[in-house]
Amino acid sequence: MTAVQLKGVRKDFGGFTAISNIDLDIRSGELVALLGPSGCGKTTTLRMIAGLEVPSDGQILFDGKDVSEVAVQKRNVGMVFQRYALFPHMTVEKNVAFGLKVRGTDKAEIEQRLEDILDVVQLQQFRHRFPAQLSGGQMQRVAIARTLITNPSVLMMDEPLANLDTKLRGEMRRFIRDLQQRLGITTIFVTHDQIEAMELADRVAVIFDGKLAQYDAPDALYKRPGSIDIADFMGATNVFEAMIRGKTATAPFGSLAFATDATDGPAHVMLRGEAIDLHLAEPPETQNQIRGRVSAREFFGANITYTVACGDAQIQVIEQSRRMVDLDQEVWLTIPPDRIWIIQN
Amino acid sequence: MSKTKELARHKRDRTWMWIQLLPVMLVLTVLFGGALVLGVAQSLGFAPWFGVNTFPDFSYFGALWGDSFFWRSLGLTLYYAIAATLISLVMGVLLALALVRSFPSKSLYKYLYKLPLMIPYTVGIALAVIMLGNGGMLSRLMAFAGFIDDPSQFPQILKTHMGWGIIAVYVWKQTPFVALTIYAVLLGVGRETEEAAAILGANKRQVFFQVTLPQILPGIISSTLIIFAFNIGAFEAPFILGGGFPDTLPVVAWRYFNDADYTLQLQGMATVVSIALVAGVILYSYLAFYRRYERRIGRH
Ligand SMILES: Nc1ncnc2c1ncn2[C@@H]1O[C@H](COP(=O)(O)OP(=O)(O)O)[C@@H](O)[C@H]1O
Ligand SMILES: [Mg+2]
Repeated sequence: MTAVQLKGVRKDFGGFTAISNIDLDIRSGELVALLGPSGCGKTTTLRMIAGLEVPSDGQILFDGKDVSEVAVQKRNVGMVFQRYALFPHMTVEKNVAFGLKVRGTDKAEIEQRLEDILDVVQLQQFRHRFPAQLSGGQMQRVAIARTLITNPSVLMMDEPLANLDTKLRGEMRRFIRDLQQRLGITTIFVTHDQIEAMELADRVAVIFDGKLAQYDAPDALYKRPGSIDIADFMGATNVFEAMIRGKTATAPFGSLAFATDATDGPAHVMLRGEAIDLHLAEPPETQNQIRGRVSAREFFGANITYTVACGDAQIQVIEQSRRMVDLDQEVWLTIPPDRIWIIQN
Repeated sequence: MSKTKELARHKRDRTWMWIQLLPVMLVLTVLFGGALVLGVAQSLGFAPWFGVNTFPDFSYFGALWGDSFFWRSLGLTLYYAIAATLISLVMGVLLALALVRSFPSKSLYKYLYKLPLMIPYTVGIALAVIMLGNGGMLSRLMAFAGFIDDPSQFPQILKTHMGWGIIAVYVWKQTPFVALTIYAVLLGVGRETEEAAAILGANKRQVFFQVTLPQILPGIISSTLIIFAFNIGAFEAPFILGGGFPDTLPVVAWRYFNDADYTLQLQGMATVVSIALVAGVILYSYLAFYRRYERRIGRH
């Protein structure tokens, strides 16, 4: 088990700065997601940890030791490439055994570990096939097996679920989670999908434009994003300009009391759609009450999203599909003060 | 649509396809096949236009193969062809491997190395004469630098049976060809499998021999086939830069064709057919060997 630390890491490609400055602490055995839009530098970060790219500045530490001078071959990391990078001229078996073979492990041991790992990834019946004869999910499992057989101290996966169809994606997600929990291996995976990051990771590192924007547990990131961009990326819809005074935020649609700490002045107020209650008659509680009219309705099966026009503002409310509120119906919204988040920067 | 109707349509489509292919097939058959058949027939004594028709007559082959000079010529031909092919192959692959990595002023090199491909063989041969001959640039430079006292002491490179000049010209021209072919293949293969191998603990040699080489092998096979086939039949370089008797087989054939005694044309044709036979046998075994390798690793 290995703790990974990035200290002031920077990466330039010629005149272009892909990573401007990243500090990241990954605890031993932790499952961390690097989340960010395409081109923000996630793959580059992984490649630097693996040793495929040399940081232009800063340090990468494994268990507190600088690994800058340690060659790729000696870092003992595992990497599952986005497009798997299986050896097309080798069978599944040979692909998986490759890492042990080049390290000079003896035949009997290779044989033993090969059987074990093929069982784990359930590829026994495909062992004599070539990569070209496998489905996406099978190729991915080969790539994972090929990496795990070498007992890497850090496992990295670049967009492990991006190339799979929806059903397989769920299966693979569970597979990765179980595997990681069973082996307790420090794991870093890259994704541009915030749902995936939140579902899988212990902590999520949000990267924008080569900078670490926020590094937090999934629920903290979801409820308390540090900036409007992060809130936006995490799928927040109800973000409004507001003026803060004491514990009251004055937004276009009225004043809201909130519980969190904030300084007086201009800010943004964020209301999570699922934290808002929708009433058809005026509710008795008057605190944080917003009056409006249903202007749109989207049905997602289990959930319904209502768009409620409150003055000039459009507030989205997410509700379980226990009822259907008619369009144009007059409604009252309430939200508890502790479910309101203030974004200031 | 009923089954018979569909079958009929399928048949019509196929017929139409053959009709469309006919012009090309005709040209290929007449130009290539026809010439081949005629060549073989002529080497077996069928040349009524010279007033010779003793078909089938193996005496031309007999005379040719019975003479030891033929075997020495064959040896020389194979030696130049194989040596040049191997050297071009190794240098071309190394060059291609260098080209997929990034290094300063790479774009300049990417143009420079293709230069020999655009320069005709004869110009290359002339360059070899100017550079490598006794009294050539290299000998003068060596003398000037004081390595030798006089340009004439420069070791004989051209016009020997060691064939350094011939091999140099082939290599000069064919290294870029191999590099170009393999470079394209390497770009297709990408760096990721090499990187994956390195992360899994493979050193540079293991990466090359176990990951890169097997993936570029088809490119290596096809480019060696092409340059070897060319080298074994090439005429200008051994004619101008060679060491004289015994000559390589294409030069021998040329001498027969130009002999005042036109009946020697048939002997020349027997020489040409011999070259084709040797080349064919070698290329076929090479391919068969490769196929067996592919089957062994289970690709087919
Ligand atoms: N080898 C390279 N040379 C030049 N630019 C690169 C190289 N690798 C990545 N980049 C650039 O760095 C940025 C980050 O790339 P990458 O880490 O692949 O992003 P992500 O994986 O987050 O989509 C991109 O703008 C990309 O174009
Ligand atoms: Mg990427």
